[in-house]
Amino acid sequence: MTPDAINRLVAQLAKLPGIGEKTAQRLAFYVLRSPPEYARGLAAALTEVVDKVKLCNQCFSLHDGPEGTVCSFCSDSRRDDRLVCVVEGIADELAIERTREFKGRYHVLHGVLSPLEGVGPDQLRIKELLVRLQGESPIEEIIVATNPDVEGEATALYLTRLLKPIGLKVSRLAQGIPMGGDLEFADQATLARALAARRDL
Amino acid sequence: MDRFVDEALVLSTVDYGDADRIVTFFTRDHGRLTAFAAGARKSKRRFAGALEAGTWLKASLVSRGAGQETCRVDKVDVVKSFHRLRDDLPLIARALYCLELCRELTRDGQPHVELFEALKDYLALLDERKAGPTSLLKFELDALQYTGFMPRFSPCALCHGPTGPQPRFDAQHGGVVCFACSPRVPHGVFVPPAVVEALAGLQAGARVPLAPELRARARELLNVFIAHHLGRQLKSVAFMEQVGLD
Ligand SMILES: [Zn+2]
Ligand SMILES: [Zn+2]
Repeated sequence: MTPDAINRLVAQLAKLPGIGEKTAQRLAFYVLRSPPEYARGLAAALTEVVDKVKLCNQCFSLHDGPEGTVCSFCSDSRRDDRLVCVVEGIADELAIERTREFKGRYHVLHGVLSPLEGVGPDQLRIKELLVRLQGESPIEEIIVATNPDVEGEATALYLTRLLKPIGLKVSRLAQGIPMGGDLEFADQATLARALAARRDL
Repeated sequence: MDRFVDEALVLSTVDYGDADRIVTFFTRDHGRLTAFAAGARKSKRRFAGALEAGTWLKASLVSRGAGQETCRVDKVDVVKSFHRLRDDLPLIARALYCLELCRELTRDGQPHVELFEALKDYLALLDERKAGPTSLLKFELDALQYTGFMPRFSPCALCHGPTGPQPRFDAQHGGVVCFACSPRVPHGVFVPPAVVEALAGLQAGARVPLAPELRARARELLNVFIAHHLGRQLKSVAFMEQVGLD
């Protein structure tokens, strides 16, 4: 019989996305075989994450500063208050940040409108975006950086519907052929969009 | 291992792990089926953005033998991606609703060629912006008929007489009953005769756009009917109501 402690660990690991019972077991035995410092370090890191990391209450990005403060994107005075880039999740925010091209603020929705999964506007941080617009810093343009898939498009259109009437400029990331991409392998939709959004030379 | 090629519409997708995607197809000749697309989100060349809800494609699939329900997607060729409808929120809402309706009305491995063709044609109509709001009711009625759930709007579902000026609708009895029969359907709800007439007309092939008020009542009634047969409300209904139909 497996000791209860191992069963508990396996059960917890199996709750992680993409981890089945078998993999959970393999991971649990790996932890057991490793030097005890590894397990202690892992446990400490897990606890620290839940205790320290929270969502910034302005842009809903991740934030580990003291209570009552905003994240480094929101507090950086060199960033442009007039531009807000709306993203689906933290990973997208980091991807845009890596370009070093964007110097405005962010707003993380934590998901996209997903009618087939029953995810509506109320489950996203859309209300919070509207609240931000009423704040003292004057936002002029919202850049919607959701993915160019059906759900990302639906979300972008929904935001446009809400934001345009307030008099804001709403823009969408351009879509087209990836750099270093092959026209021959581009799909019909991507090519059509790239054609529609062509630019003068 | 069995390899086959079939025409298919992508009903829905779920991302799996870091790079893969599980796709629910509505195939023309093999009905609904679930397939695993390895690397669908990373390999631009193999699936090139094709595995998205609403895409019409030719899919090369490999079934994984007895007892294995999920196929493997080997290759896809897009026939039409219907991407133009993605520029309009109500059109997206309607398209997704139709996909969900077909996903829920069908079962794995049971072909419904007529429904497949109807869905494909309706997505094309939406894409060309030629589908008026009444056309959705027609699509729903067709979908119900092709899958054997056809509601009856005329004559009375119980006595087969005319439904008269005070009809009741009862999902359990599969449709509308007349006033005289109404005591036999305690859960029946009153519906204006004009709504009954409009739905019966659409079912019989009439192509007259309905007034918004009539359309709204007819949709309500179909919602109740569909939810009764599926045992739950479709998830995309709320979204469609939120963003509007027109
Ligand atoms: Zn922040
Ligand atoms: Zn009767």
